[in-house]
Amino acid sequence: MQPGKPNVSASTAVVPFWRNVKIIGVIAQFVFVIALVAGVGILVNNVVTALAKANLPADFSFLGKPAGIPIAERAIPYQVTDTYARALLIGFLNTLKVAIVGVVLATVIGVLMGVMRLSSNWLVRTMASVYVEVLRNIPLAVQIVFWYSAVLLPFPPRISDPIALPGGLIMSNVGLAFPFLYPTYRFAVWVPYLVAAAVLAGVAWWWRRRTLAKADRVGSVWPFPVVTFLVVAGMGLGLSYVGRSVPSDLTFTFEADRGRGTTAFVVDGKSRPAAFVPVTIEIEKASLTVSSQNLVESRQDVRGSVRFPLMRENEADAFEFAFADAEAAEERGLQLSFDKYPSVATIYVDRNGNGRFDAGEDVDPATNRGYGGVDVVMTVTNFRRTLVSDRDGQVRTPTFKHADDVAAAAVEESAAPRAGTRFSAFGQAATATVSESALSAKTAIQPVGALVLSRAYVPVSNYEGGMRLTVNYLALLLALVVYTSAFIAEIVRGGILAVPKGQREAARAIGLSGTQTFSLIIFPQAMRIVLPPMISQYLNLTKNSSLASLAGYAELFVIASVVSNQTGAAIPIALLLIGSYLVISLAFSLVLNQVNARLALVER
Amino acid sequence: MIQPRPAPVKAHGFRFWLRKNLFNGPFNTVLTFVAAVVVAWSLYNLATFIFVEGSWGQVWRNMRLFGVYRYPPEYLWRPLLALGIMLGLMGVMAGAGGRKSIVAGAFLPIQGFVAVVSVVAILFWPSVRFLWPGALALGFLGYFIGSRWPRSIKYLPWGWGVWLVVGYLLLSGLTTGGTLGKVPVRDWGGFLLTLILFTGIIPSFPIGIALALGRNSKLPAIKYFCIGFIEVVRGAPLIMWLFIASLLLPLILNVDANSLPAIMRAYVAITLFSAAYMAENVRGGLQAVPRGQGEAARALGLSAWQTTLLIVLPQALRAVIPAIVGQAIGLFKDTSLVFIVGLVDFFKVGDIVSVQPEALLVTGGVKLEVFLFIAVIYFFFAYRMSIASRQLEKRLGVGER
Repeated sequence: MQPGKPNVSASTAVVPFWRNVKIIGVIAQFVFVIALVAGVGILVNNVVTALAKANLPADFSFLGKPAGIPIAERAIPYQVTDTYARALLIGFLNTLKVAIVGVVLATVIGVLMGVMRLSSNWLVRTMASVYVEVLRNIPLAVQIVFWYSAVLLPFPPRISDPIALPGGLIMSNVGLAFPFLYPTYRFAVWVPYLVAAAVLAGVAWWWRRRTLAKADRVGSVWPFPVVTFLVVAGMGLGLSYVGRSVPSDLTFTFEADRGRGTTAFVVDGKSRPAAFVPVTIEIEKASLTVSSQNLVESRQDVRGSVRFPLMRENEADAFEFAFADAEAAEERGLQLSFDKYPSVATIYVDRNGNGRFDAGEDVDPATNRGYGGVDVVMTVTNFRRTLVSDRDGQVRTPTFKHADDVAAAAVEESAAPRAGTRFSAFGQAATATVSESALSAKTAIQPVGALVLSRAYVPVSNYEGGMRLTVNYLALLLALVVYTSAFIAEIVRGGILAVPKGQREAARAIGLSGTQTFSLIIFPQAMRIVLPPMISQYLNLTKNSSLASLAGYAELFVIASVVSNQTGAAIPIALLLIGSYLVISLAFSLVLNQVNARLALVER
Repeated sequence: MIQPRPAPVKAHGFRFWLRKNLFNGPFNTVLTFVAAVVVAWSLYNLATFIFVEGSWGQVWRNMRLFGVYRYPPEYLWRPLLALGIMLGLMGVMAGAGGRKSIVAGAFLPIQGFVAVVSVVAILFWPSVRFLWPGALALGFLGYFIGSRWPRSIKYLPWGWGVWLVVGYLLLSGLTTGGTLGKVPVRDWGGFLLTLILFTGIIPSFPIGIALALGRNSKLPAIKYFCIGFIEVVRGAPLIMWLFIASLLLPLILNVDANSLPAIMRAYVAITLFSAAYMAENVRGGLQAVPRGQGEAARALGLSAWQTTLLIVLPQALRAVIPAIVGQAIGLFKDTSLVFIVGLVDFFKVGDIVSVQPEALLVTGGVKLEVFLFIAVIYFFFAYRMSIASRQLEKRLGVGER
């Protein structure tokens, strides 16, 4: 206020309308909305004209057309002829698949690293610090490429020598396969028990809580209902194995699939494929001829390498190997040395006579090459393998190259063995014969309970059975998990440090041990601080999965961009993408609000 | 009677440190040995890879691609001059703040980096033999000016403004041919492009502040527009916005697709994306300013605009500087996503270099080498920024006020 001017009090003065805050506000909004509408209108008009000019679709009708995009990774059945809508749905499900598993793993590793950063052990603390600092300061894109092309792709090829890890895991450059429990056709038997178990557990929980409250005792509510659930559910699972037999409507048919060098048995039940049914395949005697190949590793190391279908030693009573032309082989002094019995072998001549295959014996002195083009016959006696049919009711085996012939012959019961049929397997010419006695191949469906353990095998074209994860999925998952876990570790560390010091001191003072202090006093309180930022990290992980194209994983954004390129429907795709990500974001916000509400309730 | 107490255990020295930090109790001892094995194994593998197994020729031969990609070699002095001016301006800031300041803490390691590159340039790269040391010298000149005349920092905002314009003109060129011959935008790449995209955080600053203020506005139309913009943009990943921008910007602006270079589309997407995050950071700061500040300002007779610009915003921004640096780190890393619109930034150069014919001759490929190199460079800058952010946090005492 400048001196000398009369001070007008607000109550008496009439404020002119151009200085009235309320009116200015209304006008400002009005102008803003008009400007916004006009601006958006012009832009939309631009878009519509441009689309019309370029003759590109502006509506969603393209979704119903066949997509023609091959997608290897899918949670639900999909064919190339399916619609764009279904392709996009598969992408969305793939996003969820990597996000959900990623969130769980990132939490586990992140919490571990966060706690390790606070360890009293200097080495452990420093290790965790380096982990966190390095990983969160390198772009995720670089990390994905690192995991994909520098770590996972250099794994040994699937066909030649996948790495068999303990526990039935198989790792190779196409991915990881491991045993997995699947629900079978008898799963329905178990369902009532599961329901009963859930109900009883609920009752137990309620009863336990009431007793604890009545007795005014502190104690955990959870052990009692959990044990109840496990006992009842386990009982049901056990009972589902009692009195099992193969239903009469389960049959199987042979369907040769020569394009992939395997033969499929399709298990049919009630006019549709029966998934997850164990099938035992037995064959008394079969022989298979494979031609050796020159496998060039370096100039000094050219091998005559023979690759039989991957089998395990305990799957047959005996494997016998012989050179097809035994006389010629003996003349040349050829011998077989197995890198991986009974699947991968090297042909060599024992030049120094020590009875072993040594480096240097792999080159043929006559040709300066390996011993390629030598036929080796493998004879299997009493081969048996139990496989679990996949989602399409199929069981594939590499040994029954000509199983359809076997089956046909078995029906005729008098057919002569077909020798010398040539076909291509493992990228090389191989000749398979099924001997007379092999005609008694017995293939039988096994009775099963509510769950079946499916083990992973490597037939010709891909993994079979078990759970299969592709390298693309693994690379993306690993990168996302490791990257996000670094951020979660920081959140956890901050949360634990934020618990007042007095809490720890008080806990120790009343005689709680170090572990008890942490798990009962510090951790629950830290959780309250940690959860909200953690959930936003989960959302970040989900959004970051859109970098999947760097690992060749078909997630929502990748499929959407392919669809957009194919159809030119940029606008509808953009809207769909924004919509999908908004739905995901909103779902996370919803969870966050729920968590916040619950945490607020606990607060006193 | 009070019993005499035993002499206190020696509480310093190397052995005490060992016992306290590595061997206090059986559990920790086991942990130490396990961790030691893990560390030794990792270090051994890393060392053998770096010094024995790795073939670094491919990385070494393509340094220019990593730096500027297809930027014409005869014009290399132009980006390096822009770099030199930038270092000089940072030097003024660092010099004015003193050696212990946070800016100096960030500036000196970057100078160290440039010094290392200069030595390499003098020894091995004849075309830029004098240019890198020149940029280094400009940096130290700025540092000298800043420490000699600390008040020169007042003119720094102008300096940065001029740098933006001059830098752009230097990079793009003015004439056809000659010393300042034009370089088409599509030839900009490598680390140069990464840095250019990183400057997207500068325009995102005012936009973000405007959005934050709009979100706090009492006028519903403005408020809900801002909320909608912020939430929708933040809800979807940057890579999607880059993709959408590259497809739709030409349509929306009704211009020919060729007249709008990919770098421009990416820049718009990065700026708007960054602005939405900036808005949320600034909003956090606005909430942290006590109500009394604004009320006191109004009581003193400041107008609403004055209150916001002079009283509330400065305090709000001060409180969120660490968060903004954190966001800058995120943006620096996220610039690697522009590969999706066909730009060749530092990260994408790695992809190109590792599939060159010479690279394929190396057994096992050179992907690991190339991406290790890229990771180290990104790490150097991002880590430096995160240290600065932590120091700022400490210095500003965020959370203690």
